[in-house]
Amino acid sequence: MSAGEQVRQYILENFLFSTDTSLLGMDDSFLGRGLIDSTGMLEVLLFLEETFGIKVADNEMVPENLDSVNRIAAFVARKKA
Amino acid sequence: MITGPTGLVDLLRESARRFADREAIRHRGTATTYGELWRSVLAVSRALRVHGLGQGERVALLIDNSPEYVAAYYAVLHAGGVVVGLNTALRGAELARQIRSCGAAALIAAPDHPDLASVVGAGNTIRMVSCTASQADRAAPPGAHAWGDWASATDAPDDSPAIDASHPAAIIYTSGTTGDPRGVTLSHCNLVANTQSILGYLGLTAADRIVNVLPFYYSYGNSVLHTHLAVGGSIVLENSLTYPHLVVQTMAQESATGFSGVPSTFALLLQRVTLADYDLASLRYLTQAGGAMAPALTQRLRAALPRARLFVMYGQTEATARISYLPPERLNDKMGTVGIGIPGVTIEVRDEADARVPAGTAGEVCVRGDNVMLGYWENPQATARVLRDGWLHTGDIGRMDAEGYLSLVGRSSDMIKTGAHRVSPLEIEEVLLELDGISECAALGIADEILGEVIKVFIVPCAGAALDARAVQAHCRARLAAYKVPKEVTFVAGLPRTASGKVKRFMLKEAG
Repeated sequence: MSAGEQVRQYILENFLFSTDTSLLGMDDSFLGRGLIDSTGMLEVLLFLEETFGIKVADNEMVPENLDSVNRIAAFVARKKA
Repeated sequence: MITGPTGLVDLLRESARRFADREAIRHRGTATTYGELWRSVLAVSRALRVHGLGQGERVALLIDNSPEYVAAYYAVLHAGGVVVGLNTALRGAELARQIRSCGAAALIAAPDHPDLASVVGAGNTIRMVSCTASQADRAAPPGAHAWGDWASATDAPDDSPAIDASHPAAIIYTSGTTGDPRGVTLSHCNLVANTQSILGYLGLTAADRIVNVLPFYYSYGNSVLHTHLAVGGSIVLENSLTYPHLVVQTMAQESATGFSGVPSTFALLLQRVTLADYDLASLRYLTQAGGAMAPALTQRLRAALPRARLFVMYGQTEATARISYLPPERLNDKMGTVGIGIPGVTIEVRDEADARVPAGTAGEVCVRGDNVMLGYWENPQATARVLRDGWLHTGDIGRMDAEGYLSLVGRSSDMIKTGAHRVSPLEIEEVLLELDGISECAALGIADEILGEVIKVFIVPCAGAALDARAVQAHCRARLAAYKVPKEVTFVAGLPRTASGKVKRFMLKEAG
């Protein structure tokens, strides 16, 4: 499973409580759709750190890196490169 | 009886007169001056009346923090209406109950709310809708007026009808222990009195500039808004803490003098942001309310921002917002207390017979002052339970020391406090019971490092029912605001009950 698919599955299961992939587009904005609040983002960070073995610095916590499935997948790829 | 300004509109009018070219609000990089804000207030007030808004009629707002929210709020007051700021995180059915409760005649909304259509149709009382611009290309409901047309008129006169300070000005909905919406009804006098009391101890001036993350539809954010506008200060809107260091970056860039939060706000900032990396030298004051903050967290906050004066405060929507504050110079020797009554507010701790108890003895916190609400909107029974002989019975349990400093030791109700939100367990339980396969259930708050509490539910399934936690959460997510969705779901064979059948929540809490 690709990083993007793993992230989408995680967001679906933990914030939409579903496995229906049609509910979350790869470029859907989490903020725009009101999916993830401040504590939800902490859970996402924990998931990323545990699943992909990366460490997210405070200044990397920006929408450009984290506000959609595709943005997270690209961010993870950059971190692991 | 107050003298001077009759309502908040008088305070804003004076700020607009004195500081017309000064920035009132900054949002998404755009400044709105006091002069611009005041012109919008007059224009929207006129539009509301031209389209038939009558004195005392309710106007609901369904807009996130924005210049439009602020202009709409003051315009409703200026037009003689009663403003009802709705919680934009709520879902359609929750909002519809509040619309029906207050019988709103008008709705001013952002079209981005996913359940807007069901809100507009709720109760058949809404005669006019005005929609602001959409951030997501969503269409306004058919027949809606364009906010831009309403707000852009430049020649609207300042012809506010005469306002009786004792009449309702605003309704703030809060979760009651019964699960029904309870509309805390505040008079013009309540709002002005609380605003002026807060100004008295915070010492705000026109030079102050706050970065605000608190929603204006809750009483705490509402008080931050009114106090800063009353003195000609400015408010920088940051509507999300999802990226906490961006908020701190804004504080540094904007040379913020103030910041207000609930305990979870500060817990999050201290956990995720190295505050020392930012130039926050302008920060003059911090305020904390919205639930007791652990002394350890208070100490960490003071250590991280030693130059800012930290005001620990206590309040309740039923008291407009603020009841007490701890003067920063007493923070060390009165750590763990929520301080003394704010100017004009008297606090007593009483026993079950409603008699005042001696210093050091725990009892219910009761409050008297011009900040105490008129009552719950069209709910005399609920009002009578908390307002007796002019005293507000808060439901909070506290004790007062010999110097009058109040400590909170608990609540007499089962309300869950998660982040900035109060949630009624009954509301969650009622939604759960709509789901097939649940025989009985109980919702309660369990400790959480950041949010104070998160929601856990215990469910007794019907025989043979195939339920799983995710289906339960999905059911709640479709019907409730995200912050009300249970974080934990546990299936049990039965619930512990008292002889009279009441669920023993404390036993579940211990098991949780």
